[in-house]
Amino acid sequence: MTREEFITHVEREQEALRGFLLALCCGKKDDADDLAQDALVKAYVSSAGYQDKGKFRSWLFKIAHNTFLNHKASCRTMNSIDEARTLIGGTPADVSFAHQDLYLALRTLPPKERSAITLFYLNGYSIKEIAAITDTSEDAIKKQLSRGRDKLKERLKL
Amino acid sequence: MKKDKALEDLFLAQKPQFDDSDAFMASLTKRLDAVEYLKQYQEATIRRYKMAMVATFVIGIISGAVGIAFLLATPANVPLFTFQMHSVILQWLSENSRIIVAIVLSLLMSFGLISIIANIQDIVRMRKKEYMLYATSF
Repeated sequence: MTREEFITHVEREQEALRGFLLALCCGKKDDADDLAQDALVKAYVSSAGYQDKGKFRSWLFKIAHNTFLNHKASCRTMNSIDEARTLIGGTPADVSFAHQDLYLALRTLPPKERSAITLFYLNGYSIKEIAAITDTSEDAIKKQLSRGRDKLKERLKL
Repeated sequence: MKKDKALEDLFLAQKPQFDDSDAFMASLTKRLDAVEYLKQYQEATIRRYKMAMVATFVIGIISGAVGIAFLLATPANVPLFTFQMHSVILQWLSENSRIIVAIVLSLLMSFGLISIIANIQDIVRMRKKEYMLYATSF
């Protein structure tokens, strides 16, 4: 893949990629954009090994997912539900805090459940596609989705 | 597996819109330019490394061959080196000088070959490290 081809693909997919990483980073835009840039550089360096079968987005998301997990492993920050309680807006009808609720609830999920939920609900991938992106079995993805969904519904009171 | 409607609606509502795509792409382009520069620098380093390796190999082979040719050309009954002092060990060394020199030359050539193989492995490792360097240096 030439650099021009790579840039063309990236221009088409960069919003979806950044949205995915923004959800994984629980609304922290700077972190998400840094991870997106790292993932894209890694993708460019290994683009010689990419066989264009029309799945550029899945391939890119796989690299981004691994980049996120490596970043999490190096940070090792602990997130608790108590922090979420103190930051939620007091007014139920306050639209500006609607996304904040979701991000804070996502933060309480382990990284793998968070990835599965985001890929399923935000990006619309099937379980089979999520398993390929995250390099996990379909059964494991189903369990992660089930656990993640239950936790989110409990925390968001849906 | 069916999607939970409430969660699906919540995720769709929060789907972010980015109005700084141009700035993002400009920043990415700068990083890719840096990657290209590092790649070229590494390629030049590897090329110099390879040339030095080939030169060392050729010099080593020629020196070894010249040494062995000299060894074979000298008369068999004349020791290659002698010592002015009298000692059992030195006497033994003088009598077996040809064998000793042949062993030393063989060892030198073997070390040369081993270092060539080690250099080739280094070059392969440097190529693999290139990707890590480009991917993590930003």
